Amino acid sequence: MLTREHAIVDYRDGRAFPDRLDRTRHAHYVGYAERMLAIYRSGIGRERRALHRDVETLFAEEPDCPLRRIRAFAKLLDDVSTYAADPKGEASRLRLRVFDAAARFHPLVRQKDRLFEHAEAETKAAIAADVGLEWDEIDARLYADVMTFQRLESFQGYPDAVALLSRYNVAQLQACLYAAERVTVRATQDFKTILRYAKLARLLHEVRRVGPSEYAIEFSGPASVLRQTRRYGVNLARFLPALLACRGWKMTAILRTPWKRRAVLDLSDQDRYTSTLPPPEAFDSGVEEKFAATFGPERDGWRLDREAEVLADGQTAFVPDFVFRHEDGTMVLFEIVGFWTPEYLAKKRETLRRFRGHHILLAVSERSLREGAEPGASVIVYKTAIKVAPVLAALEAIRTSLSP
Amino acid sequence: MWRGRRRFPIIRLMRCSGTGSTGTAPRLRFDRGTLLLDGVQVRDLFTPDLWTWDGRVGAWRCDAIHYAAVCDALAERLGAAWRDEVPEPPPVHWPKVDLPHLRPEQEEALAAWRDAGCRGQVIMPTGTGKTEVALAVMTQTGAATLVVAPIRDLMYQWHRRILKGLGYDAGIVGDTLYNLQPVTVTTYDSAYIHMDRIGARFRLVVFDEEHHLPGECRREAALMCTAPMRLGLTATPERSDGRHVDLDHLVGPVAYEMPLARARGRTLANYDVVRVPVALTPQEQATYDACSRQIRHFITDRRRERPRYSWKDLCAESGADPAARRAQKAYYLKKSIEDRAAEKLRVLEDLFRLHAGQLTIVFAGSNMMAMEVSRRFLVPTILSHTPKRERLAVLDGFAEGRLPVLVANRVLDEGVDVPEAKVAVVIGGQASTRQAKQRLGRILRRTGTARAVLYEVVCEDTKDVQRSRSRRRSDAYARTRHRRL
Repeated sequence: MLTREHAIVDYRDGRAFPDRLDRTRHAHYVGYAERMLAIYRSGIGRERRALHRDVETLFAEEPDCPLRRIRAFAKLLDDVSTYAADPKGEASRLRLRVFDAAARFHPLVRQKDRLFEHAEAETKAAIAADVGLEWDEIDARLYADVMTFQRLESFQGYPDAVALLSRYNVAQLQACLYAAERVTVRATQDFKTILRYAKLARLLHEVRRVGPSEYAIEFSGPASVLRQTRRYGVNLARFLPALLACRGWKMTAILRTPWKRRAVLDLSDQDRYTSTLPPPEAFDSGVEEKFAATFGPERDGWRLDREAEVLADGQTAFVPDFVFRHEDGTMVLFEIVGFWTPEYLAKKRETLRRFRGHHILLAVSERSLREGAEPGASVIVYKTAIKVAPVLAALEAIRTSLSP
Repeated sequence: MWRGRRRFPIIRLMRCSGTGSTGTAPRLRFDRGTLLLDGVQVRDLFTPDLWTWDGRVGAWRCDAIHYAAVCDALAERLGAAWRDEVPEPPPVHWPKVDLPHLRPEQEEALAAWRDAGCRGQVIMPTGTGKTEVALAVMTQTGAATLVVAPIRDLMYQWHRRILKGLGYDAGIVGDTLYNLQPVTVTTYDSAYIHMDRIGARFRLVVFDEEHHLPGECRREAALMCTAPMRLGLTATPERSDGRHVDLDHLVGPVAYEMPLARARGRTLANYDVVRVPVALTPQEQATYDACSRQIRHFITDRRRERPRYSWKDLCAESGADPAARRAQKAYYLKKSIEDRAAEKLRVLEDLFRLHAGQLTIVFAGSNMMAMEVSRRFLVPTILSHTPKRERLAVLDGFAEGRLPVLVANRVLDEGVDVPEAKVAVVIGGQASTRQAKQRLGRILRRTGTARAVLYEVVCEDTKDVQRSRSRRRSDAYARTRHRRL
């Protein structure tokens, strides 16, 4: 990830436009990216500052390239590099030894005189002989552990030039979000992934239904209700790659500009950023996938939708695997509980208890049932695959129990 | 001594573990740097603007800094009929207290802070023993304490002072370490990041060099912490952005202030400031002038079309205009020539001859220059990337007089103990009043009757001279002499 110092954001009319290299205006950047990768690939053994200087020199005559963009490229290249970091502190030990030896000759003067008889060159030669290296070698090693002088050991790199440019675009988007106070996502699918990664990024959510199978989820942190704070910008930036991997969403971030004004960043899956994460799996398990295939999109008046409803109570959110919608408006949630650890099952029970006001039909793997458990009417027990007939029967039972 | 005489108010925490679990009893919790209160109508209990309803979690929320006030208000209005689930920091036992007797002005500072309700700022010049005041507070309160310092050098120094003075091996949060103890030292940046996790662990928080606190982000370290006792220490509370007024809320009002004039000549040594002008070499001057010309031509050129064209415009355009970028680079080259002028090394040699046998600190304007001095004279550096072990070895060697010279970048500007240095040489750095005072403070520690000297080596006819003038505006530089070596 980049730091705030790398961020290039154009704020216009209350909107934020993070720097983005596109295929038409910046087509020539593919060439730059190839040459940057070449500098690093052939740069094993060179000092960090030399690599950075070469990268900067590439852009010397480029009319469209702020200094921050060059620095950001260097950072992203460094992120996939390993430098010799001197973990044993050899440079540090050498320094102490040399400075200790030199202390009694202080000051090292250019010209000897009666009072000061320790000339720089002679003393350095004497110390070099004592250490057992040429002075030039000592001079080069003395500060070899300092970041700018560290030497490149290996370069993992990016698959190709386009991958580096995609990475750059996402990184600038994330750097822009460092200034975010809150983010609202309007989503029509992949709710599970969105909510799970937001929780991993330690964000609080507020879920609002805005249409059939469409939710507005606002993400922020605890102190966000107290004052405007950019404290959670890093969390929001960390959450972003997961969102970019999803489909069917729009996002609005409220940012605070360096001039203490408000600005918004609008983004959607149509902006086609390339996430570093793979897209979410369509189904959590083979059981689900198989059931969806067997049932089909619609059967006997019931339409089947995957992950289409979000139930929220405070900071607990529950996205059932499927939703059945009948022509007459009846809605039944369907959750499949596979074979899981007892801890997972206990947590799931707690969640279901919290949302017991909803019509939830459960399919439970036989192996997950407790010894001697008596599953209720809204529980279907399955062995390897969920059969359609008992599900339809249970759905109809719920529907008739609702009709007056 | 007044230990044991209950002069420090004790925040009594009402805990009704024995009253049975009444699910609806008001309950106070710590949640990531904030307080949550539920089971109560806060409008009946508090002035309305303290709490905010948070629908996301179904509770009232406020900043953790209000913890003491909230406890008092709840105790007054509800008696014992509420639950405090904010963890209670444990009392601390100091294994081996070995502190020097406080000087009168330190006693004054301590008493003033205590009278202010154990919450407030103590402003004392560098070298007058702020750390000792804080250590005295810690022994006498026996409170779980968090010390927040500006940089990791100072953080480690606090760790050493606490170990030496109180016999306590404090935890460290920062510099890639996370070791939380009832007494912990940290930096402002780490405190900002971690306070949502550690904010309820302490009863006393010490903000060293507290002028760093009111920054837009860093202030949250104070807001997200429950500690009722707060001590802010600084020699220079003013900030150019005026935000020091917020310290009244974040730490507490000023409890004690000792002016610099009172410190001079008493606790501190007398000192002279000597300005040494240096000239650029013909080669440096040629490059410097070429850069100046390049910038001037560029700007003159632009002003033909846009009379108000400024340096700011140039920076804004540098992304889309290679000529502007070249002008920008020329400017950085000029700065680097000033910073690393070869003549400075020659002057340094003269000063080292002049003060042979006296401990000398050199302040460089950049890491590059610091390392250049180090490699030329084979003297050690203390820079931000210096490893902890080496840092200690160098500081000890310097303190014992084995190492005659120490080269530092801005790292040593504030607060780091550098014992018994009598000579300081500034060969670069930014112009700022606070930096000037801090730098003087470093060499002014009392050692016998010898006068301390601060040399300021500046390039003639360059920006360096302007910065030096601006530095001298500070009253600390009132008696500058000029000398050509």
